[in-house]
Amino acid sequence: MSLHRRELMKRAGIVSAGIAGANRLQASEVAAQDVELTVWDTLNTPPRSDIADSIVAEFAEAHEGVTAEHRGWALEELVSTLPRSVESNQGPDVAQVNNGEALMGPMIRGGQIISLQPYVEQYGWDQLFPAGLAARNMYSADGTVFGEGELWGVSAESEIVGFYYNRTIFSEHGLEVPTTFAEFETLNATLREHGVEPIAFGTLDKWQAIHIFGAIQGTYTTREYLDNIIYRRNDASFEDPSMLDAATKLVEWNDNGFFMEGFEGINGDDAVPLFTAGMSAMLMQGSWAAGQVGEGLGDDAGFFLMPPHEAGGTVLHVGGVGIPYSVTTNAEDPELAVELIASFVSESANAKFVEAGILPAGEIPADLVTEGTLSGDLYGNWNTALAADAIGHYLDWATPDFYDVLTANLQSLLGGQIDPQAFVTALQEVYAASFE
Amino acid sequence: MATPVTGAESGSAPARLRHLEPWLYLLPGLLIFTAFMAIPTAGTIILSLTDWNGISWNTAIFNGLANYQRALESVQFRTAFWNNLKLIPFFVLLPALIGLIPAAIVHQLRLRGGRWFQAGLFLPYIMPGVLIGVVWAWILNPIFGPVNKVLKQLGWASPPTWLGDFIWALPTVGFIGAWAAYGFCYVVFLAGLQKIPNDQYEAARIDGAGMWQEFTGVTLPGLRGEIAVVLSINLINALRAFDVIKTTTDGGPGTETQVMALYMINSAFGANQAGYGAAIAVLLSVITLVGSMLILRFAGERNG
Repeated sequence: MSLHRRELMKRAGIVSAGIAGANRLQASEVAAQDVELTVWDTLNTPPRSDIADSIVAEFAEAHEGVTAEHRGWALEELVSTLPRSVESNQGPDVAQVNNGEALMGPMIRGGQIISLQPYVEQYGWDQLFPAGLAARNMYSADGTVFGEGELWGVSAESEIVGFYYNRTIFSEHGLEVPTTFAEFETLNATLREHGVEPIAFGTLDKWQAIHIFGAIQGTYTTREYLDNIIYRRNDASFEDPSMLDAATKLVEWNDNGFFMEGFEGINGDDAVPLFTAGMSAMLMQGSWAAGQVGEGLGDDAGFFLMPPHEAGGTVLHVGGVGIPYSVTTNAEDPELAVELIASFVSESANAKFVEAGILPAGEIPADLVTEGTLSGDLYGNWNTALAADAIGHYLDWATPDFYDVLTANLQSLLGGQIDPQAFVTALQEVYAASFE
Repeated sequence: MATPVTGAESGSAPARLRHLEPWLYLLPGLLIFTAFMAIPTAGTIILSLTDWNGISWNTAIFNGLANYQRALESVQFRTAFWNNLKLIPFFVLLPALIGLIPAAIVHQLRLRGGRWFQAGLFLPYIMPGVLIGVVWAWILNPIFGPVNKVLKQLGWASPPTWLGDFIWALPTVGFIGAWAAYGFCYVVFLAGLQKIPNDQYEAARIDGAGMWQEFTGVTLPGLRGEIAVVLSINLINALRAFDVIKTTTDGGPGTETQVMALYMINSAFGANQAGYGAAIAVLLSVITLVGSMLILRFAGERNG
């Protein structure tokens, strides 16, 4: 508890500077009666950092004798600092713990976070997300089996990947939001014919390759198969028709010019300003980009999800829960720490997230879904996907080192270095080896 | 003058404490070296012998040389090592060449304003690699970057995406590395040239040597020591290349620019295999040490 100690020293310092050194003892006695909570998460830039600051401050205000401090980190820094801090008993009380084998599994097995299962009923956390999403914050009691058993973290945010579109460009070319996969393909072909760049995204910094492939794969797959792959059960394999079909389709789309020319040399986030500058009709991005898109295009921007092959069919959309909040074993008062987590998914917290254009935990109240606006499109689609339990996965969760493997192979596939079958084989080789 | 503090206070320094004096001077450096070099190095070597996820100690297991065996058998490590080798012409030879030519011209032609030149050429070397990577990624951006805009205006309808292109990515990253390093080579060479006595050039001229003969007969032999230093430092940079690659291609496209340092970081922190990452770090250090020793040895023999 370095912050606790630092705070004590700070208080002692103020007292001794102002009055006399003899009063130090008294000051530290006062401090010892207080409870200090520290929260570490990745909400490190506005509006997220402001939201977290205010949630934490309001919590402290509502609890006498409690002081609470929020610290927002860059994700990579948090991931590398958190477990080492907790291990040396210098960690926070509450922290965002990256899902799966990235952090949650190893931290459970290392005895660094506590199970939240005893509090599920009390706080109604079983109602927050449908089963498919709730599983992402679950592990067996011993931390060895992912996706089932006990709840170890609670997510305050959600995310879904889809297509932002430019309403003006769509109407100029007589296009409408597609309701089937075939319509979507026709739409892309029409745009290309008319000399308009269809979809903006970038794979130079790799991660968006996972999203575009996942979006296509989600139209060919089932919840059961995807869950099996990600939760590593029932001998799931990447040698699956859905993977091969998606890889084949991805190459076909690339050959047909559905993607913005030069996407291999563009970073994912650099594609956003290109889209808002009107240089493409669509942008493949996550819900987290809504703020930036809204700023650039206002309500001239809309949002839709990858349509199904047959009207009314289900697609598993790339997306999921935000990084969940867990209670570390460094927490002096775990019950209080759990209560603090609950305040991150309270109604007032949800309202703060929604107001800032961020998808909160769970469903969004219908009165906030205004048709014809960007946020309305986003919230409406989110509610629909949530109700259908149709939020898929990020495929790089399959093994701890899968991000590098998947992105490298997707770049090779898009660059024509390997064919779809070789792509699927390469993924399965690494996936199978991870069980050895 | 060098009276120890203790001696000054007590009035006379006991002779047996005198032999501690040098150690006192060494102490600050020794402490820093121990804390930031010796202990981390020993720690890395110990970690490299474990199967540790980098997250909690209770899961660490001693596994001998298994990490080393795994690295040497790994296709990814070999690809990364091979890519480092492919970067050597760009990171080692190219900047040395680009640095040598202006240095020789400035020196042989006795050009004025060499210092301004020096400052200007040295600038890229003091810029952080991360910044260089980010800036070059913008310059080379296929859509809004100036390079492709100019190429398109010159009539090249679809120039490569450079950093995203399977053929061009490695040479492009190599070129950025060369750009970052040549200023350092230039400054070292220019400093070395000041040491070459003027009469050697005069003697060469009396013998009727032209510019090129002066360069090969006087300048180059006079710079042997500097060339060795520049090549070995460039080699170290080529083998530990990380920041520029991380911020431009992150090892892609595919594994075209995957290098050892990147593979080490990704293994240790991305894939939670701290023990394996440590083994790669040790291998990387050994390879770098051997490489730079070979260069220095080679140059040393020629000097002798």
